[in-house]
Amino acid sequence: MRAIHLANYFVAGCIAFSLLGWVASLHPIAFRAVLCLLAAIAISWGLGWLLDFSLSKLLNISVADLQALLISGLAMLLIGLGVFLCT
Amino acid sequence: MHLKLFVLSASSVVLWLIPLSALDKTLDIHKALQGVSLTAAIACAVTAGNIARKQAEQNEIEEIKTRAITADVVDEIATSAYISQQQRQQEAEQILSGQPEREEAVEALKRAWLLDCKEPSEPVTEPLNQPHDNALTVDEERFTNLNLTKNQAIELIQKMRSELNQTQTIEKLWECKKGGSEAWKRAYAQFKSLMEEGG
Repeated sequence: MRAIHLANYFVAGCIAFSLLGWVASLHPIAFRAVLCLLAAIAISWGLGWLLDFSLSKLLNISVADLQALLISGLAMLLIGLGVFLCT
Repeated sequence: MHLKLFVLSASSVVLWLIPLSALDKTLDIHKALQGVSLTAAIACAVTAGNIARKQAEQNEIEEIKTRAITADVVDEIATSAYISQQQRQQEAEQILSGQPEREEAVEALKRAWLLDCKEPSEPVTEPLNQPHDNALTVDEERFTNLNLTKNQAIELIQKMRSELNQTQTIEKLWECKKGGSEAWKRAYAQFKSLMEEGG
């Protein structure tokens, strides 16, 4: 049941990134806005890896959990945008 | 609950993939439909995730309850086994130590009896002798079932007290059982008065 719960949230994240791609395809300004958002996400992701120990203390989770979150976030982004771009 | 969960999960995937692959991105109406379906897919996936999370938490609680009940049962069994073992051990110890105690009590009684039941040389001071009908003696108060005088009773009690406790002494000398009976109360009162006078 825990795996189903995590899988559903993962699918929700993937669909969210597909929706982001869909928003980017609406208008050039929306595209730029989404690019800015993706850049901010990328910076946050990199900082998350650099400050993983501090963040894990701040969020009260283990370092391994934080790293799993970061990896799954990247996977969601790749899958979500990949699905949107390839279809 | 499980059916709802699986339907929501499946519908989220379907609403995500089918409109994106089947509809044309250049047509405005199709694009709008894609947006709506993606939003609905997110909603379905999040709802399914929440349901699964609640179910997982309930399962964990049930598991903890089961573990607690099992631990309680095991503890109860272990406690009862320990108690019965203790009882058996106590009974065995009582059986083993019971014989010497009885023998000691009998010995103590025998010694007490021999000490006080010697025939005195002068019949006048003989405590067990009944007063002569024609004797001009003042009626002295008698104690215990042995019809002892006060001093004799005190002396005997003091000797017996080195071997027996208070209750045993009263039971042996007054031949009554401890309890709320009149005989016991009278014996106890006599014993107390003797002990007070005997110091």
